[in-house]
Amino acid sequence: MTRDELKAYIESNFVGRMTLLESGKVEPMYEIKADDLIEVATKLRDDLELKFDFLCNMGGVDTRERLEVIYNIASTSKLHRLDFKVILGYDSPAVESICPVWPGANWYEREMYELYGIDILNHNDLRPLLLPEDWDQGHPMRKDWDAPDFVRMPEL
Amino acid sequence: MGKLRTEEFQVNMGPQHPSTHGVCRLLLTMDGEKVVDVVPHVGYLHRSIEKICENRTYAMCIPVLDRFEYVTAMSCNYVFALAAEKLAEMEVPERAEYLRVIMLELNRIASHLIFYGTTAMDVGALTPFLYGLRERELIVDLFEMTCGQRLTYNYIRVGGVSRDIPKEFVPKCREAVKIIGEKLSDYEGILNENPIWIARMKGIGLTDPQKAIAWGVSGPVLRAAGVKHDLRKDDPYSIYNKFDFDVAIRWNGDCYDRYLVRLDEIRQSLKIITQALDGLPEGDVRAKVKAKFKPPAGEVYVRIENSRGEMGVHLVSDGSTKPLRVKTRGGSFNQLQYLPEIVRGKGYLIADLVAIFATFDIILPEVDR
Amino acid sequence: MGLIKKVPVYTENIPGGALVATSLEQVLNFGRAKSLWYLLFGTACCAIELMCTGASRYDFDRLGMIYRATPRQADLILTAGTITKKMAPRLRKLYDQMAEPRYVIAMGGCTINGGPFYYDSYSVEKGIDHIIPVDIYIPGCPPRPESLMEGCIHLQEVIRKQKLSDWQEK
Ligand code: SF4
Repeated sequence: MTRDELKAYIESNFVGRMTLLESGKVEPMYEIKADDLIEVATKLRDDLELKFDFLCNMGGVDTRERLEVIYNIASTSKLHRLDFKVILGYDSPAVESICPVWPGANWYEREMYELYGIDILNHNDLRPLLLPEDWDQGHPMRKDWDAPDFVRMPEL
Repeated sequence: MGKLRTEEFQVNMGPQHPSTHGVCRLLLTMDGEKVVDVVPHVGYLHRSIEKICENRTYAMCIPVLDRFEYVTAMSCNYVFALAAEKLAEMEVPERAEYLRVIMLELNRIASHLIFYGTTAMDVGALTPFLYGLRERELIVDLFEMTCGQRLTYNYIRVGGVSRDIPKEFVPKCREAVKIIGEKLSDYEGILNENPIWIARMKGIGLTDPQKAIAWGVSGPVLRAAGVKHDLRKDDPYSIYNKFDFDVAIRWNGDCYDRYLVRLDEIRQSLKIITQALDGLPEGDVRAKVKAKFKPPAGEVYVRIENSRGEMGVHLVSDGSTKPLRVKTRGGSFNQLQYLPEIVRGKGYLIADLVAIFATFDIILPEVDR
Repeated sequence: MGLIKKVPVYTENIPGGALVATSLEQVLNFGRAKSLWYLLFGTACCAIELMCTGASRYDFDRLGMIYRATPRQADLILTAGTITKKMAPRLRKLYDQMAEPRYVIAMGGCTINGGPFYYDSYSVEKGIDHIIPVDIYIPGCPPRPESLMEGCIHLQEVIRKQKLSDWQEK
C-alpha cells in the first residue's frame, strides 16, 4: 500500500484505537492507548491487508513533559511501514510487553527498562542489558538524570 | 560397567575472546562437547552514543554516530543525514546523491571484505584475512583521498557531502573496482570448494525465514534464508532506483549460504559503483544549510540497507538546534538476539558456534551503542 | 652476528672460538624489545586499525609483534578501543593475568581520557590510566597504522633502557 492508502485504511479500520498525532507531519505517527496495545498490535500483524510482521525498532523517549514508547514496524511482504507510540506519564510508567506479538522486542524492552525506567509488564526476563551489573545510579537516559562523574559539554 | 555420570557445565566465552568480534560474552551451557544453551551478555561497549547525540547540534551528531557502526561509518553518517533532511524536507543536489551512493557501496564492500577475512580467520584459515584486508586498503585509500580519514569519515553531512571528490578519485576508483572484481575469483577459489570450509559451514546454523523475520533479523542473514528483502529495492532511498542490480539471495540459510550471499553482494555493489561513476553529474555537492540548522518539530524513522541488515534512526526534534532523541537501530542487535534460538538444543559444538557467530557478522558497537 | 652489532659487547678471539662478554641486562632487554607479543584485545573502532596494521600492507610482524589470544602468553596489551565502566574490571583482570615484564600502550583518544565520549557519556571510563599503568600513549581517533607503529618503536626504546634493578624493587 502507498502511504495515503495505508493512512485511509487505518482510519477506517482502527477507529478510535489509533489516533493520528501532530508530530507525524512527515510520516504519519499514531498513538495507541497503553491498555489497548497488545490487541491493536496483534491486529496490525495479523490483518491480511497490513501484515506488519517486522518490528524495526522501538525505544523510549523523554520529551521533558512525558515519557513515550515509540514503535516502528514494517511488513516484509507488503513493503509498507508504520510508526506508533504509547504515551506515558512520569509516575510509575509501564507498558505491556509486546514480545508475544513480535519476539524481537525482547532486548529493546530490556534496554528501555534500564535506561528509562519504563516498567515492562509480563516480560519474562528483565535482567540489565547494557549497564554494568552493579549499576545503582538510576535511569541515565532520562533528561533530568545526573551523576557525580557525568560531565556535560560546555555550551559553545 | 556402570554408566559414566555426566553433568552440564557452564563456559564463559568472552568478553575478551578473539572470535567474538569485540566484547561480547556468551555464557554457554555445555553437555560434554555439545552446546546446550547460549546466553549472550552484552553492554561491554555501551558508550551512550544516544545520550551524547541529545546534547549535540545536528552537525556534531554525525561524527559521534560514526562510532556507532565503525565498520560502515558512511552508512551511519548517511542514515542520520537522511533523517534530518526528511524532517527539514530538504532537497539534496544530484551530484551529492551520486557521491553518497558511491561511498555507501564502497563501504559495503569494505565491510564484506572484513567479514571475509575475519570469518575465515575464526574458522582457522589465515590467508583470506590477508587477502581481504589487502583489497580493503584500496577502498580505504579512496576514502582517505576524499575526506582524510581511514575509518571514521564524517563525510556525508546534512544537505549533501562535506566536499567534492578530488580529480584523481574517479580513475582510482575504477581501478579499485577492476582489481576487486578480479580478486573475487581468488577469494572464491580459496574457500568455496575447500573441503574443510565446507565441512565447517554447510548445514550449520540453519535459520528459519519466518522466525527470523519475527525476531527482526534482516540483511544478508535473512537473504541467505531465501527471503528477498533488500531495502535498496523494497523501500528505495537516495537514487538506488536509478541503478540496475540484483538482490543476492540463497535458500538454505546455513553458514555457507550466508558467506556466499555476501560475496555476491560485493559483485552487485561493484556494478552499482560502475554505473554511478558513469552517470556522475557535475554540480554542487551540498545544499544551502544554515549554520544553525533547526529542523521543525516532528519525528521520523528512516532506514537503509547496511551491510549488516537494516540500519535505522528514529529522530525526534523539538525545533531547537539539538535533537530531542536519536534512537538508533542496527542489524546486529536483532541478529544477536536471535542467535540463541538457532543454537539452543541443536547439539552444535563450540567451533560451530564460532562459525555461526562469524557468519551472522555481528559487531558489538551496533548492539551496545 | 646481528646481535653482536646491536648490543654493546666485548669480544675477544680465543683458540677455538670467541669470548663474548656483555651484561645480562642488555641481552634481556634486546630480547624483550624485539619480540613483543601483544594481546589481541580490541574493543572498538581502534581494533579495526589494529587489524589493518597486522594485515598485508603494514605488516606488524616485522617489528617482532605477533598477536596472542591469551594474556598469559602476551607481553604487551594494546588497548584498542573504548573501555567502558562495565569493561574496566575485565581489563584489570586481563592485565593481572599477564606475566611480567608487561607493558601497556593506550591506543586512541578513548583510552587516554575518554576521547569523543568524555562529555555527556555516563558509561565510559575517562582514561585507562587509573585502571592499569600505561607506558605509551598514542593519540588519534583512530591513530593511523603508522603512528601505532611509531608508538611501538618508542616502547622498544623504552624497553632497551630498562635496568634490571627496576624489576628487583617490584
Ligand atoms: S579513540 Fe576513536 S577510533 Fe578509537 S575507539 Fe575511541 S572512538 Fe573509536
